[in-house]
Amino acid sequence: MDNLYEPIPMRIERIIQETDDASLRSFELSFMRDADEKAFFKAYNPGQFCQLSIFGKGEAPFGIASAAWEGKFVRFTVQNVGSFTDTIHHSRVGDSIGMRGPLGNGFPIQDWKGKDVVVIGGGCAFSTLYALTKHIMHADNRKEYGRIVVIYGARSSGLCLYKPDIKSWYQRPDMEIHQAIDVPEEGWDFHTGYVPDVVKDVAPSPKNSVAVVCGPPIMTKYTLPILVEIGFDAKDIFTSLEKKMKCGVGKCGRCNLGPKYICKDGPVFTLAELNELPLDL
Amino acid sequence: MMPKLIKKIEFDKTISKWFKSYDVIAPVSSKEGIHFKRIKDPKEIKLDGNQNSIYPPKNVFLPQSEVLFTVKNDNYEMPDQAPRKRIVFGMRPCDARAVWLLDTIFNKADDLDLYWGKRREKALIISVGCASMCSNGFCDTVGSGPFGKDGSDILITELDDAYFVDPLTSAGEALIKSLPEADDTQGKNAKLIQKGSVIKEHQAADLPRIREKLYEAFNTSIWKDVSESCLGCGVCTYLCPTCFCFDIVDEIDRSERVRNWDTCMFRVYSAEASGHNPRPTKAERTRQRIMHKFAYWVDNEAASGCTGCGRCISQCPVNLDIREMVQEITSLKIQ
Amino acid sequence: MDDFSQVRKEAARILSEKIVDMVIGFKQGTIPLKSQPMFITSQEDTDKLILDGFCQNNLAVFLHDQPKDKRIGIICRACESRAVRALVIEHQVNRENLYLIGVPCMGILDWKKIQDAADGPVTNAQESGDQILLEIGDKKQVLIRNEFIVDSCRGCGHREPIDVDIQIGEISPIEMNADNLPQTWGESFKSKSADERFQLFTEETERCIRCYACREACPMCYCTECFVDHIAPRWSESMVTPGGTQAWHIIRAFHQTGRCVECGACERACPMDIKMVYLTDKLNDDMKKEYGFEVGENEEKQPPFATITLDDKNRFKY
Repeated sequence: MDNLYEPIPMRIERIIQETDDASLRSFELSFMRDADEKAFFKAYNPGQFCQLSIFGKGEAPFGIASAAWEGKFVRFTVQNVGSFTDTIHHSRVGDSIGMRGPLGNGFPIQDWKGKDVVVIGGGCAFSTLYALTKHIMHADNRKEYGRIVVIYGARSSGLCLYKPDIKSWYQRPDMEIHQAIDVPEEGWDFHTGYVPDVVKDVAPSPKNSVAVVCGPPIMTKYTLPILVEIGFDAKDIFTSLEKKMKCGVGKCGRCNLGPKYICKDGPVFTLAELNELPLDL
Repeated sequence: MMPKLIKKIEFDKTISKWFKSYDVIAPVSSKEGIHFKRIKDPKEIKLDGNQNSIYPPKNVFLPQSEVLFTVKNDNYEMPDQAPRKRIVFGMRPCDARAVWLLDTIFNKADDLDLYWGKRREKALIISVGCASMCSNGFCDTVGSGPFGKDGSDILITELDDAYFVDPLTSAGEALIKSLPEADDTQGKNAKLIQKGSVIKEHQAADLPRIREKLYEAFNTSIWKDVSESCLGCGVCTYLCPTCFCFDIVDEIDRSERVRNWDTCMFRVYSAEASGHNPRPTKAERTRQRIMHKFAYWVDNEAASGCTGCGRCISQCPVNLDIREMVQEITSLKIQ
Repeated sequence: MDDFSQVRKEAARILSEKIVDMVIGFKQGTIPLKSQPMFITSQEDTDKLILDGFCQNNLAVFLHDQPKDKRIGIICRACESRAVRALVIEHQVNRENLYLIGVPCMGILDWKKIQDAADGPVTNAQESGDQILLEIGDKKQVLIRNEFIVDSCRGCGHREPIDVDIQIGEISPIEMNADNLPQTWGESFKSKSADERFQLFTEETERCIRCYACREACPMCYCTECFVDHIAPRWSESMVTPGGTQAWHIIRAFHQTGRCVECGACERACPMDIKMVYLTDKLNDDMKKEYGFEVGENEEKQPPFATITLDDKNRFKY
């Protein structure tokens, strides 16, 4: 019987500096035990997260930023904001780190088959959307979905994540990409402004579509009503929530939203579900 | 299943027999009142009318503090769990029901908390019913009763000179196989005592209505009103037999990852590292406590998360009374 | 207090004349032997005010949550008035915005001890002079009041509310520290050897469940973040082990050195009946002996351990 609280050992394989100011780095972790690897990929669904674990620093949740087909590793994009993430930022290739997951429900991608998918992200919360987009854009999965529209905002061009990949997306005829930064910059050829405004401008068609929104709470708060305005049904708008977590498996009681636990019943909820829940966020 | 009998003069002998194969945990006298602990002598047992322990026996399965792992070189090792089988004797039906409720969190086959699960699988719960309701108890209004059966393997009714021992599970039945059977008169007497134990004026709480009213009141200022005198301590939740929240902490000096009970009544419980706190004042924290008991439990398990043991009422340093609070909130007229 | 109506009238007056926005007092509890703190904003509710030996909290604790500029009236026994002064000295409250109604205190009663002494579950309890009249269902029982006064009140050396805006009623006339009663816990503790004292301390703290009711009930525990809640670095063991609970009780007491107003609200709030007052009492005695400082004795002097001055010539004493 598995112990829900036991981290599995992982090895840091690759570290990618994502942003100019080095505040965001991606870490690709490989499995030290085959059984763990098998169990992980059997369960993994984009939109899920893991608890990373450093003894002495505790644990913290991070969205999974890689698609399963990319290889036998799990990617996390970590923003250096405190003592735990600072420790991760100072680790090196070859270091070990504990991990529990995949946790949570993830995006219901099976239900989205045959539909257009509008992906809206901001800041480092784009990580799970990156995993989702990578998953859908893979040749084996691409035909299952309709049009893909990606709207991704960052504070500045230097803070944009996954630059090489996103650049390559512009070449693909089967997706539409809109990048935005908050304030104008010389040489920036794309949108300028906040994500909710960009969504309004782009106005993706709600017809046979789902929209997925992940970003800082303030971005999400202002984007959701715009999607409703454009004509998306609340049942077709998805978002991923965050709250202080400890156990990650629906036991410790901390991350509840009414009767639901974000760690276990979420982190992905539809706007229709959120409308029914008491929101003490 | 056939009810059995333990004559009072044979009580000590019967319990002593269990010592061979079981650790027996039972209510004993302690400085603060009654306390559950492992006994070595049946004479230690204190079954004092309807008096329950101040500290809830949930800690038998969910200790207030426990080591989850000892950590060596990033290797997380789970400590050995209580190797011996255990009998929890003298639990009250309110607390046994709490264990039954907590099984829905910790003891699900596909989602098992190993620590709870291992303790639970090796334990039998022998409850003793309350011939009269305790002063602040209201078990009979929240889905249980002074002789409620949920969670118990065996339920005992105290007769004049004997204990009427009613097995409720096959494990319970196996334990008391060798005891003499109770006769019809004893059975009738036990029924009478059980029947006479409830308070006639008490009405069952209308949980669906309470649930609905609490949701309606979610965004009102009533929570500030009812929580104004709350001190923000952990008495109500730590003494609650169904509160289960915990924190996970690394004790670096001892290389241990541990868990400790935690409580939604503490400010730091929900405070995030960024400084944001979704429950910044006593009002939101009290709302969480009450809503969890009377709305979220009802949503998830169609049962009240309160078993009516009354500990939070008896021990609250400012006499906040959950009955009064629920009453006040649910009678609120919402515009 | 024989004629409590004067207090209710005064509370109603200061509300109606808008001298204060709120009055903090006590009302009848929902169960026998208990009372509830109450926050009154309309004068009609002043009828509900009561004061008896079952009012076990120190009302000054509720000032922590109130905005400093809110005008508040408080029904003040001596302990509350001393706590208010200590909070004023530590700049936690604005004295000008407070209106203290001084009332006599007859000593707070130990409800657990009364329940233990009763012949059954108490269904009603009333004080009457030097007696406590109990109802246990249909039965009646009389207890001697003095025998049930909590330890911290039995040794009380501060009967008189200080710095009040109005004093109503006589200063407590009853001698609470009756000679025929057994020693208080603190007194007997003092007479023990060091080993015995540590043994007693260990026995008391091992019941601690870290609910922090003692902290939350204390008018002088107002830190925004308590040392036990600090995460990085963690100052104390987190578990309910001797290491964790003893550290809590020792550090809590030391943080109260020369600050504790000796009201005993901590002990009364403790669900596990843990003795605590003996620690802070001893530390306060030391402050008196070593620094000539007593909590609340005047309006300016800061507690020595909470003070630092550049011309401090004294070394730390140990």
